[in-house]
Amino acid sequence: MKQNKLYDTIFLAPGFIVYILFMIVPVVMCFYYSFTNWDGISTTFRMIGLKNFVTLFRDASFFQVLKVTVIIMVVTSVIYNVLGIILAALLNDKGKLSSISRSAIFIPTVMSAVVVAFIWSYMVQTNGGVINSIILALGGSAIDFYKTPLTTIFVISGIICWNSIGFFVVIYLSTLSTIPQELYEAAKVDGAGWFHRFRHITLPLLAPGITINCILAVAGGLKQYDHVKVITGGGPGGATQTVTLFSVEKAFEYNRRGYSSAAVIVLFIIIVILTVIQLSISKRHEVEY
Amino acid sequence: MKKASVGLLVKNVLVLVFALIYLAPLYIAAVNSIKPYDEVIKAPLQLPVKATLQNFADAFQSSNMLALYQNSILITGLSVVLLIIITSMAAYIIARRTGKLYQALYIFSLAGIMIPPIVTLIPSIKTLSALHLLYTMPGLLLFYGGTYFSTTIFIYVGYIKTIPKSIDESAYMDGANPITTFFRIIFPLVKPCTATAVIFLGMWIWNDFLNPMYILGFSGGKTITTGIYNAIGTYTSKWNLVFANVLLASLPIIIAYLFMQKIFMKGLTSGAVKG
Repeated sequence: MKQNKLYDTIFLAPGFIVYILFMIVPVVMCFYYSFTNWDGISTTFRMIGLKNFVTLFRDASFFQVLKVTVIIMVVTSVIYNVLGIILAALLNDKGKLSSISRSAIFIPTVMSAVVVAFIWSYMVQTNGGVINSIILALGGSAIDFYKTPLTTIFVISGIICWNSIGFFVVIYLSTLSTIPQELYEAAKVDGAGWFHRFRHITLPLLAPGITINCILAVAGGLKQYDHVKVITGGGPGGATQTVTLFSVEKAFEYNRRGYSSAAVIVLFIIIVILTVIQLSISKRHEVEY
Repeated sequence: MKKASVGLLVKNVLVLVFALIYLAPLYIAAVNSIKPYDEVIKAPLQLPVKATLQNFADAFQSSNMLALYQNSILITGLSVVLLIIITSMAAYIIARRTGKLYQALYIFSLAGIMIPPIVTLIPSIKTLSALHLLYTMPGLLLFYGGTYFSTTIFIYVGYIKTIPKSIDESAYMDGANPITTFFRIIFPLVKPCTATAVIFLGMWIWNDFLNPMYILGFSGGKTITTGIYNAIGTYTSKWNLVFANVLLASLPIIIAYLFMQKIFMKGLTSGAVKG
C-alpha cells in the first residue's frame, strides 16, 4: 500500500486535468473577461473594471432579455411542477393505459430541442398549421400564436414543456412510489376524501421531489437557447431573446466577448441565488415520517 | 361504487387526452414525412394517399445524412467512453480514501454541476484555439469531458461507496494492483451506474446544439442537430422534407428509448432522486 500516492495520481489526474482545463479555468476566465474590453480577436485587451456591468444595466435591451428569460423560467417551472404532479398522480397505477401514456409522455424527452422546435413550429403556424387547420375545420377562426412577443414567449414556453415534462413526471412518479400505502389506508379509515389525502399526505411527502424538480426547472428555464433559436431566432427585433441568445450574439456576431461574459455572469449569479433560496426553503418544509 | 367509477372514467379520459397531446405531433411528423408536398399542404392530418420514401432519399442527400450520423455517433460514443473512464477512476479514489483532502477534492469536483454551459463555452473556445483543437472533434470531446465531469462523478462516488471495501481489500491481499483491481473487480460491479451515465450523457451529447455549433464551426463537421438545423433552414416551407429530416434525426434515439425503457427510467430516477 506504499504506492498509494502514485496510484492515486494515476486515477485522479486524467479526470481532474480535463475538468480543470474545461470547467474551472473557463469559469475563472469568464469572470475575468467580464471585467475587460476583449473583442475575441485581438491579443491585447485591458481591464475596464465594472464598466461592462454598468453598460449592461443601462442597456434597455438587456432588461428586455432578462424579462423574457424570467417569463420563460416562471411559466415552464409552474407547468413542469403543477402539471407534472397532476400527471404523475394520474399515471401512478399499473394499468395498461397509464403505462402506454407514461411511455408517450417520455418520448419527447429523448428528442433534441431542435427537432421538437421544428415539429411544433409547423403545428402552430398561422397558415396551414395543424392546430389552426383543426380550429378552422371545427368552424373557429385561426389563432395567430405569434401575435405579440408575449404570446410568442408563452407558445415557446409551452413547447419547451412538451419537450421535457416527461423527465419531471418520472421524478414525481418515483417519489410517489416511496410514499407508504398504509398512510392512505389509515386516512381512508379516518374518512379523509381524496383532496384531503392529496393535500395532507401526498403533497408533503412529495417535498423531496418538488425540491429537485424546482431547482432543475428554474436553472433549466434560465438557460434556454435551442427552442428560441429555432422558433424565432430571438426576433422580431430581439423581442424574444433570452440571456443565452443575447450573450452568444454579443460574443460571436458583435465580437464583444467581455460584454457578453458580463451578461453570462449576471445569469450565473441569478441561478446561484435562486438555487440557494430554494434549498433553504425546502430545508424548512421537508417532513420526517 | 357509482362515484368511484365516474372518477375512474374522468381519470381515464384525462390520461387519454394527455397521451394524445403527446402522440399527435409525433404522428403528424411521421405521416407527413412519407407524403408528397401537395398532400402535406392539402391534408396534413390524413394518412398518405400515395406514400413515398422520396422525402427520405432527398433529405439523406441534401443534408448529407450519412456524414451527420457518422459524426454524431463518433462524438457521442467517444465522449461517453472518455467521460466514463476518467470519472469512474477518479470516483474510485474519492470514494475509497478518507481524510479532509479527499473530501475537499470531492466538493471541488462537484462545483461544475451548478455552472450553465454558456459560462464555459466562450472561454473554452480560446483555450481550444490555443491548443490548436478548435473546430476539431477532439476539442469537442475534451469540452464535454469538462462539462459533464461533475454530474458523472456524482453518480459514481455515491454508488462505489455502497460496495464493501472488503472486496477490493481481498484483491490487494492476492497481490493485484489498483489498476487491475479497479477494472477487473470494481468496474463490473458499478454497471448500473455506468448504465445511468451512458443514458444521461448519451442523450445530452447526441441532442446538444449550441456547443457543437461553435466548437466544430463550419470546418469541424456537423452533428445531427446542427446539420439538420442548417439543412432545414434552407427549405423551411417544404414541410415534407423537414419531417423526413426530423424523423431521420430522432428515430435512432426514440428506438433506443423504446427498447430500453426500463433501463432508461431506472437510470433517470436513480441519478436524480439521490440528488
